[in-house]
Amino acid sequence: MERLRSFKPLSSPSTTFITGALIAAVVFYVVRAIIEPEVMIQTLAKALGLGATYAIVALGFVLIFKGTQVVNFAQGALAMIGALFVSFLAVDEHIPLTTIKNPLIGIGPEWFGWGLSVVVALFFAGILGLVLERVVIRPMIGQPLFSVAVITLGLETMLRTMANDSVRIQLRPLGIPWGTGGFTVGGETNDAGITTGGAFIAWSYVAAVITAIVAFLAVFFFYRSRMGVAMRATAFDQEAAMAQGINVGRVFAIAWIAGTILAAIGGIFATQPPIAQTGAAQVETQFIAFRALPAVILGGLDSVQGALVGGMIIGLAEITAGQYLSQYAGTLGSGYPLIVPYLVMIVGLLVRPYGIFGTPEVRRV
Amino acid sequence: MKAAKIWVLVLALVLIAAACGGDDDTEAGTTDDGDGGAETTEAAGDEGGEDTSGDDAGGDEGADGEAAELATDFGVTDDEIRIGYNADLSGIFATTVLPIIEATEVYWEVVNENGGIAGREVVPVILDNAYDVPKHLENYEVFTGDGAESVVMIGQSTGSPHTAATAELLVEDEIAAIPLTWYSGWPDPEFGQNVFEVQTTYCVESHNGMTYMAENFGDKVAIISFPGEYGQDGAQGAKLAAEKLGLEVVYDGEGAVVPGSDQTPVITEIVNSGADFVWTTINPTTLSEIMGGAVSQGFTGMWSGNSPSWGFQLLGTDLAEAADQFYVYSTYTALWNTDDTPGMTEVVEAMREKRPDAPVSDLYLLGWINGMIVQQVLEQAAANGDMTRAGVTEAARQITVDLKGLAPNQSWGGDPNDFIVRESYIYDIDLANFTPNGTVSDEDAGTGYTLIQGPFASPLAEEFVYDGPCFVAE
Repeated sequence: MERLRSFKPLSSPSTTFITGALIAAVVFYVVRAIIEPEVMIQTLAKALGLGATYAIVALGFVLIFKGTQVVNFAQGALAMIGALFVSFLAVDEHIPLTTIKNPLIGIGPEWFGWGLSVVVALFFAGILGLVLERVVIRPMIGQPLFSVAVITLGLETMLRTMANDSVRIQLRPLGIPWGTGGFTVGGETNDAGITTGGAFIAWSYVAAVITAIVAFLAVFFFYRSRMGVAMRATAFDQEAAMAQGINVGRVFAIAWIAGTILAAIGGIFATQPPIAQTGAAQVETQFIAFRALPAVILGGLDSVQGALVGGMIIGLAEITAGQYLSQYAGTLGSGYPLIVPYLVMIVGLLVRPYGIFGTPEVRRV
Repeated sequence: MKAAKIWVLVLALVLIAAACGGDDDTEAGTTDDGDGGAETTEAAGDEGGEDTSGDDAGGDEGADGEAAELATDFGVTDDEIRIGYNADLSGIFATTVLPIIEATEVYWEVVNENGGIAGREVVPVILDNAYDVPKHLENYEVFTGDGAESVVMIGQSTGSPHTAATAELLVEDEIAAIPLTWYSGWPDPEFGQNVFEVQTTYCVESHNGMTYMAENFGDKVAIISFPGEYGQDGAQGAKLAAEKLGLEVVYDGEGAVVPGSDQTPVITEIVNSGADFVWTTINPTTLSEIMGGAVSQGFTGMWSGNSPSWGFQLLGTDLAEAADQFYVYSTYTALWNTDDTPGMTEVVEAMREKRPDAPVSDLYLLGWINGMIVQQVLEQAAANGDMTRAGVTEAARQITVDLKGLAPNQSWGGDPNDFIVRESYIYDIDLANFTPNGTVSDEDAGTGYTLIQGPFASPLAEEFVYDGPCFVAE
């Protein structure tokens, strides 16, 4: 926040560039909103949904990095496993990896049982994060960070391979109550009840935005707690934190539990519009982590607010480019939406090498 | 530290033992001399058991107990015949390919229980290409080498660009391949000489499907596809058909769908196109993303496409109701337990016996058909007394494969216009016929279809003159 307050629009080439880009973006959105207001509403809603999902996944990356100084390459596989846990509990109606029936099914209305199952699934995801931290990360305290990062790559391969076995032959529906439904702003409804035109806003966009708000508020308040301060101190300097009596192991554990739960939430939303339409865990679900990676880097790898802002910028750029440049796909290449997040990230890093809110590394010569 | 050393030692010993074990297993019975030259072996006597095939050339020889001389070079020993499967077990078509491989394995289990082929056990060597061309080529080298996993023919080659990458090599190595791809380049003697395509091509399938869609749903079409031999072959066929049928292509998205990308551009173009129907050549999960996105934005046109675009698994997802309402399924074969032809009875009974808990799937039929083809080719080669790679390839050109009602019979000899298959099937997606989590053992388990037409060849397909691939990558 301090960096935002000190932002002077035309004080350097980089701030001038950012200011110019922001003005151009605002002008573009205002003009398009005047020409086609419904298309713009839909585009913004979709971008918010995608951006919120990216922000949630990015927050998971950031928490683990802040707590342990490690980029966790297994986030995608953990997202997939989180989605699978929901499928096992809510649709197959049994406890993951067992044949024990899920006792929460049938309690209250259907959506209530589903909600409780999601809570339990996230609990299991947290346990998985704790186990991984205890078994393979904790023993590496004090070892080169590169080695720990490679360990997470190994974890990714193992977890992804196991998770893929569950979805290769059959997609795994999550039973999400709102499905691919939504509401339309404007448009015309015919006699058959089908609405054409207007701005379609999926309930999943709304759910992703609300979940992101809750997640970021929770982290915001957590950082003001005693444990949160300990985590921030550990992120700043592990050895100094240990010298001050901070239980660094506990910080590691909390970071991994929280990071894994956030990955799982991201995995659930990765089965939903605008990312997918099946409402089911599938092989592609795990790709959410790689799609969110530009948001993490752009926002700043060690910044919570960076995860939010980075997620929103990348979501907005990806959806806007997809919507308004579609007629130029022949010239740009049909895969151009894949490039947009990385293009934005590269430009962002050229201007701010540590990300928008990242902490510059101080080196003394 | 001492404990660590012991663990390292144990690990090293385990690795050495594993490596040695692999060699022992795979070298047993190998007759290859390593120089690629053919040698002769004796056809072992059939140990008994009933053969399931109607045309049992090699099996009969064995059953007579007479030792006939067989020329062999790679992949055939005194007691086994190795068939290669270069299959997508973990890539974007894994959902489709895994059940196919499962049924193929069941097929060989049944054949082997009944004495194998020419008295030899058939051993499928299955390698994962992950729908990746370099990996596919690596696997190909393994199959066509002279090592323990060398094979006499490639029973399945998944992927159009992948198989295209090996097309010339297949000719050089004199080895036959059955593609799990319906690219229109395979019947071309200049290109796919040793690729023995099964069923119709994407291009001809598009002619049939587009004809049905135009007759029933309107004359404005949007065409979308993956880039490459698969996607663009189907899209080119659809465009040829549109031209002949006088349809207006309101959105040409040939090659515009890139898997893993945000599909907003394609969805936007379809929604804005005013199309009466969309023809797709993509895969099921990408279809769900595009079709679901377009339908949710109010697009009410119909959808269809080349067979691999659809997977009945989508009926277990949030897309089910939209698919029931808007999707028409075009494909190449009969579907699971939808008739009582001899072929259907065999595959259903075998799957129930060997994999009673397997989820119900139409894809087993493709695996079963693949097994029938390979078996009949090998039996012809055995009858010819030549089970070298070249001999097996030649045998494939001599036969008409009887598919027992599962799909139109198949041959590969002579002019492509004489043997290309022109028939396909059209099904209505019907949720009422879908059984979630049904297994092959469930008598009434369905995959969600009602047959509309098939096997049928549209007038366009009947008149189609094959003079090369509909699409050639530049």
